Amino acid sequence: MQTQTVRQWMVTHEWMVKPMQQTEWIQRRGILVWLAEVFSVLGTGLYLVALFTNNWWGALMGWLIIVLLKVPFHLAYLGKPLRFWRTMPPFSGAWRTSWMSRGVFFTVLFSGVGFIQLITTYLTTSPDILTGQALSTMVALDLVVKIIAGILVILTGVYCGLMMSYCKSVPFWNTGILPVVILIAGIADGLALIMAVGLFTGGINFHAIESASRVTLIVNALLIAAYLVKVRYQSLTAELSVKELIVGRVAAVFWVGVVGLGIVVPLIISFLSLYAGKLSITLMVIAVICHTAGAFALKFGILKVGIHKPIVPLNSIHLA
Amino acid sequence: MRWGMVIDLVKCTRCHACVAACRVEHFLPLHVTWVKLIALETETSGIAEISTYPVRCNQCQDAPCVEVCPTEASHQRDDGIVMIDHDKCIGCRYCVIACPYQNRTFLSKDKNPGYFPGYEKTRFEKKGEELYFHQVGTTQKCNFCAERIDAGQEKGLIPGVDWDATPACVNTCQARALTFGDLDDPESAVSRLIRERGGIQLQEEYETDPSVFYIDGKIGGKASNIAPESETTGYHIRHLSTVEENAKKLLSGEKAK
Repeated sequence: MQTQTVRQWMVTHEWMVKPMQQTEWIQRRGILVWLAEVFSVLGTGLYLVALFTNNWWGALMGWLIIVLLKVPFHLAYLGKPLRFWRTMPPFSGAWRTSWMSRGVFFTVLFSGVGFIQLITTYLTTSPDILTGQALSTMVALDLVVKIIAGILVILTGVYCGLMMSYCKSVPFWNTGILPVVILIAGIADGLALIMAVGLFTGGINFHAIESASRVTLIVNALLIAAYLVKVRYQSLTAELSVKELIVGRVAAVFWVGVVGLGIVVPLIISFLSLYAGKLSITLMVIAVICHTAGAFALKFGILKVGIHKPIVPLNSIHLA
Repeated sequence: MRWGMVIDLVKCTRCHACVAACRVEHFLPLHVTWVKLIALETETSGIAEISTYPVRCNQCQDAPCVEVCPTEASHQRDDGIVMIDHDKCIGCRYCVIACPYQNRTFLSKDKNPGYFPGYEKTRFEKKGEELYFHQVGTTQKCNFCAERIDAGQEKGLIPGVDWDATPACVNTCQARALTFGDLDDPESAVSRLIRERGGIQLQEEYETDPSVFYIDGKIGGKASNIAPESETTGYHIRHLSTVEENAKKLLSGEKAK
């Protein structure tokens, strides 16, 4: 009986003196944060690629992913979702220091500007709606709106990474390379998704997208490797996170999901298409599905192995 | 003026009275604890030892939780106390993650099931809801008993000196291991202790400038209870890391289960 009591007492407080996984953003309701961040990456990537390829349907899908999936999941996670407006200026001045506040503001602005961009682009690309001077004015306006929407979507895509990299308490995230990894991964995901959109709507130069996808996938793989190597030498807690990711409990998610499905399979399919000289729709669909699964795995892995440094490092206690 | 606390690790007897006093003072929900005693298990020459450190919100002067809060719900008063405006908190838990000391708790429904789940709330709980309401869906943390400090100062009392203006944990500490006072006053008890006994802050490398200082480092005054001197942060992690039992193996290069 006494043993049980002592053990219970130990368990209560033991967790604070050893490296401890962050759970708030990945376990239980934290799953919603993971989903929201994945859709953030997918939506922003797709929208950005659609802007560069002048694909209206792609832009629409990207915008919808952000507005109908990312935002609701993020809101559903909040303890008090109806108060979300408090994060934005002029209701709060927190944007001066908080990346979350900035992120919400970017997302809301993008939702509005992105919607306007969809309308202006639709008007300029649909025949017989506008002609003459009105069309010229709308084309100029569309260009301006696209530039603003492009900047906002990049900020929307990158803020989650910046938010995480700001946390000194989680050494694995506390590096400037993380937002870049997330942004490039998002663009790679966007290139895959635009091919899926193109299969239904047409108007896509698949060979050009495939070429861009190959380069982005390789850059993405190198960036992930650089990120892991960099944080590996940053601190012991970060090293522990890396080991958890590559040989620990999350290793299956990393090797199968991130590396296998997210990078290797799409890359093999891409090179097969390159050497075969033609694109197989079946293989393309497989590549898109694998790529998207990789996006889910990457975010899961990064969030799951976020580990806090122990609170009481003994070398900081002066011994009497 | 900057309120601060000094914790004498020699005097602390691990009695948990500060934990209980805080719970009673703030009518804390069942699974929420603002003041904690963390237990550090070490092994020296084959003898297992437990060292304990009382921890609470450090009321950092450069508080990461204040910086990351998207609504300014976490804010710092002029006297250095970090407060949470529960009417502004949206429950995003960014502060919980950003706190290097993990001294914040998100109050979810399951953390507040009542002291006797399935039964009617006690009179103590009902009274607590009137006097110190805890909003589910927001974040919680120690506030140095700011309400006691404010009420005491209005009466002309001095926090750290007068009972009614001093945090409950400090008042209740039977070993007088906790000292409270103004860190900006060089003649205050806390300033003298820090100066004379070499007060140190937790995790100084984060540069958050905590207002809670620790003096000495042995527990209970017995040699067998002194934590090993040669420990370093790295060794500490190697020795204790047991993130789900696998960390130690991972760090030594072995394959995890």
